[in-house]
Amino acid sequence: MSTDTPQGLNNFPITKFCSLLTVGIPIFASIAGVKHWFLLYNDPFISEYKQYYRLLSFQVSAVNETDVALLTLIWYHLRHLERLFGSRKYLSIITLSWFYSSLTVLILAQVFNLNPLINWNRFTSGGLPTIMSVLHFYKEYTPQMYQFDVKLIKPFGTRSKQLKWTFNDQFVINALVAILLLNQGFVGVATGFLSWLCGVFIDKGLLPGSEMFRVPFFKQKSSLRPRQTSSIEAEAGAQAADDQQSSATGDRADEEPNDEPARPLGVQFLNTFRM
Amino acid sequence: MEIDGNTLVLVFVFLFILYSNPSGDGVTSQYEYNQLQTLKAQYQDEYSQFQNLTSDNNFRNITGLRLSYGDVLRNPDINATYPIEGKDYDHWYSDEKYTLLPEDVLHEVNNSVWQHGKNVYPANLTSTLHGRVVNSHGNYLKVPMPIPEYYEPAQDLSQNQPAFNEPYFTDPAGREAARNITFDEGEIVIEISSADTTSSFFEDEHHFHNSQSDKLRFLHMNLHFSDPAYNEKHVINTKAIYDIKNGRIMAISESAKFHSLFALPHYINLKSEDEAFFNAVKTLVEEYWNATDFVNTRSMAYLQDSYATANFKCEFLAFLQLEPWWGYSQEQLKIVDEELMWPLGRRANLSSLPPVNISSGIIYSPDCGIKLQVSNAHGLRYELQVRKMRKLLLCGALLLASQIYLLLSQMQHTNTPSMVNKISYWCFSLMNLVDGSLAIIFFVLTSSIPVLYLPLIMCSFACLILASVFEIRYLISVYASQANEQSVGIMTLLRRSTEGEERRTPTVMPDEASISTSLYRTYIVKMFFSMIVILSMTTWPQSVRMPIECIIIFLLNSYWVPQIARNAIKGNEPRRRQIFANDGPQHQRQNKMPLLWSFTIGTSVIRFVPVAYVYTVPSNVFYHHQDRLFVAVVALWLVLQMGVLYSQEIIGARWFLPNYSIPEGYSYHKGISSGELLEHGSSANYTIDCAICMTDVAVYVDDIDETHKVDKDSYMVTPCGHIFHTQCLENWMSYKLQCPVCRAPLPPL
Repeated sequence: MSTDTPQGLNNFPITKFCSLLTVGIPIFASIAGVKHWFLLYNDPFISEYKQYYRLLSFQVSAVNETDVALLTLIWYHLRHLERLFGSRKYLSIITLSWFYSSLTVLILAQVFNLNPLINWNRFTSGGLPTIMSVLHFYKEYTPQMYQFDVKLIKPFGTRSKQLKWTFNDQFVINALVAILLLNQGFVGVATGFLSWLCGVFIDKGLLPGSEMFRVPFFKQKSSLRPRQTSSIEAEAGAQAADDQQSSATGDRADEEPNDEPARPLGVQFLNTFRM
Repeated sequence: MEIDGNTLVLVFVFLFILYSNPSGDGVTSQYEYNQLQTLKAQYQDEYSQFQNLTSDNNFRNITGLRLSYGDVLRNPDINATYPIEGKDYDHWYSDEKYTLLPEDVLHEVNNSVWQHGKNVYPANLTSTLHGRVVNSHGNYLKVPMPIPEYYEPAQDLSQNQPAFNEPYFTDPAGREAARNITFDEGEIVIEISSADTTSSFFEDEHHFHNSQSDKLRFLHMNLHFSDPAYNEKHVINTKAIYDIKNGRIMAISESAKFHSLFALPHYINLKSEDEAFFNAVKTLVEEYWNATDFVNTRSMAYLQDSYATANFKCEFLAFLQLEPWWGYSQEQLKIVDEELMWPLGRRANLSSLPPVNISSGIIYSPDCGIKLQVSNAHGLRYELQVRKMRKLLLCGALLLASQIYLLLSQMQHTNTPSMVNKISYWCFSLMNLVDGSLAIIFFVLTSSIPVLYLPLIMCSFACLILASVFEIRYLISVYASQANEQSVGIMTLLRRSTEGEERRTPTVMPDEASISTSLYRTYIVKMFFSMIVILSMTTWPQSVRMPIECIIIFLLNSYWVPQIARNAIKGNEPRRRQIFANDGPQHQRQNKMPLLWSFTIGTSVIRFVPVAYVYTVPSNVFYHHQDRLFVAVVALWLVLQMGVLYSQEIIGARWFLPNYSIPEGYSYHKGISSGELLEHGSSANYTIDCAICMTDVAVYVDDIDETHKVDKDSYMVTPCGHIFHTQCLENWMSYKLQCPVCRAPLPPL
């Protein structure tokens, strides 16, 4: 496996799907005026109104714009996991994380509420629990690529000592996750911690399913198309294809040879504006 | 630039000029300053009188309230200068001696409009109600309401002090005609909003704390009435008190001749004559007065506006009775209100919420002597109306998305110039006009309905993408593929040959860039004109608008007609013959219909659904009139068009043309004469060089038997006499319909 991550999200269907949904559902919700579908409060939604659908929907969409941006960025950073596991296993782990983290948070909230001093009423909105659970896998299975030190020489006057901070290549995602947790207040941090534990337990097999469970009806696409392999291979392949074509003109007489590169529809649209 | 002292001074002088004149209240002269001060002093004086007013006390020196109907009855030429001799200022009874209303109007208000008994009424009324209004031509005296002279603009520049008289001249005839309501029966639209929102352009938004919001509400109400044909329109802006317990609304218009704010407590109290209630309303008016800082916020614009209103409009008092919301408790109403204001998914069951309904009402004008009866004015709560519109817009967005998808698949289907050539330019041009105009309409609406900004801007954007990217792109390729037909007559096109006609010099074909420039230019001009037409159409009287609207919609729904004509010009074989005639790939390609059936049917449905909604659903959000017959006609017309398109596919595109007008089309596959062969410089084995692939083409020469083995389908002869391999020329023709050798236009396959 090459150490370079492929450009774009062409070969990351699940990452693409998750990012698009993270952005698309909130946009739809604000256009349709149904943002409140994705809110979850114990009181009044569950205890009084009995709106149990919210137990399923509270992780689907974030209500706050900042959360939407953060979650999308984090999904993008987690794409290495999809490359590592393959799309189907990745989706299975996301599904498991969603299920177990929702369950854990909801049950533990009820347990905490038995204590009369604690009143856990508000739940986080958006996929924070799922993300935190998947983050454990990211930390566990993606190798650290590099690290660097930031040294501050005598930052607080002449008498102070030198400060040294070590960063690695994952510091961006760490920062994003930290903001995501803090952005929803204490509930965010608590939920995040519990869901991260979920991730650990799923990985260790304490919460069953990570080895057995696979998402059904999943069609694995061939991960790389021939054109996206290295350029030499591509050229060779193209030549071979050309040879084949020239030898097989007899049975494919009505197909046009590529004497001029066909312009895809997208290019045609762009050409319209080149005046 | 170097900044020194001089520059700074200049900047300060500039800023001083910029910010100093005119001042915040719009005063531009000494006269206007005095005018405004007089107005403020007058209001302040009237307010101090109002503070001393009690429930059994008459109005004293308040503009517009000095006279009662009884005074005028006693002496029709009475002058309203305070104090009036013999007038009883120390008592108040709700009869015509004390009020502005004649006895029978009072009687009607008390007995048939305002009902007895407390009930449950919605506290928040923000909505727009539509109902009927009947003009009962009573013979009432007109209570004179003079406009104080200080409201008038200065006579000349030297005048500094406004006059204080109240002239009692008779109204000029023209003004009277503009004010009078002539129709017998008409429509009324009542816009109710809470007093927190702006009532008119000249007043700012104020948030005031109503300490009795469970009992009383202060409202702004705009009443529009017009005759059914919208020839005569009247708009009145009023301030109103809503008595929640009894469901009564009392609204009074306000202008330079009628400072009606102070009349509210007495007139809402007409029926009950209850001192506590009077004091509650008085407190509410005082709270409103203090919260808006009424005296200090009066501006020159307000003064001029109320002067104009006083000149051209009658004053009105409206007494309205609300229908109770049966079966709701106060707690339920509170939940409903909260859910409407801040949706969270409470158990409010909004879909079954009854409309706000004014069951009966009387609108009376003391200075014009007009009595109008309102009945059954109803409408949804504003928030519910907004929800309904939002849902509609989402459906509209869905329709637009499917239209974009259908268009894209249609574009994929016709991806060669020969196929695009069969598409009618005008067919898509008509659709483009509609979509572009829709984009503009949605965009204009975003500013008038700010609550729906997001869905509106999304629809506008979708329309814009559809019209100015996809459709224009398609139009450009259609236009480019048909560019070589422009100088050719229609009969020649039908015949598909250039024989017999004088050969013109081959025109230089415009490239796509120049075509797209010109098409975008015409597109923008078209959009501009349609915007002007649409905006002006909304103000036309209904009798003119209705037929024109119908004609325009009918014409815009004839988009398949140009395509039918285009099919007839291009001609295609009936389907039956296509199946039996297996003579090569060329025939198949030539006979493919250019439009996908999914596109044809889908587009027709997508474009028909909004028309059907507007014309058949009685509760449509546009308050558009119903006309089921017209919808049926449009539907039939669309079905007819599609039927003809289908028949063209089944029995040939030209079945409706007489036989003599259908000559043979041009055939690329034919033998040539030996003379022509010589012209091409033939080689020994009767072959010609193909200019495209530079190899030999064997040809069929009519008068040389040895060449008769050659398949005529293996080469093509252009109308300009050039010969190519079939494969070579067909490939070329999928890019350009021009002869590769001499640039003469080629008939498409």
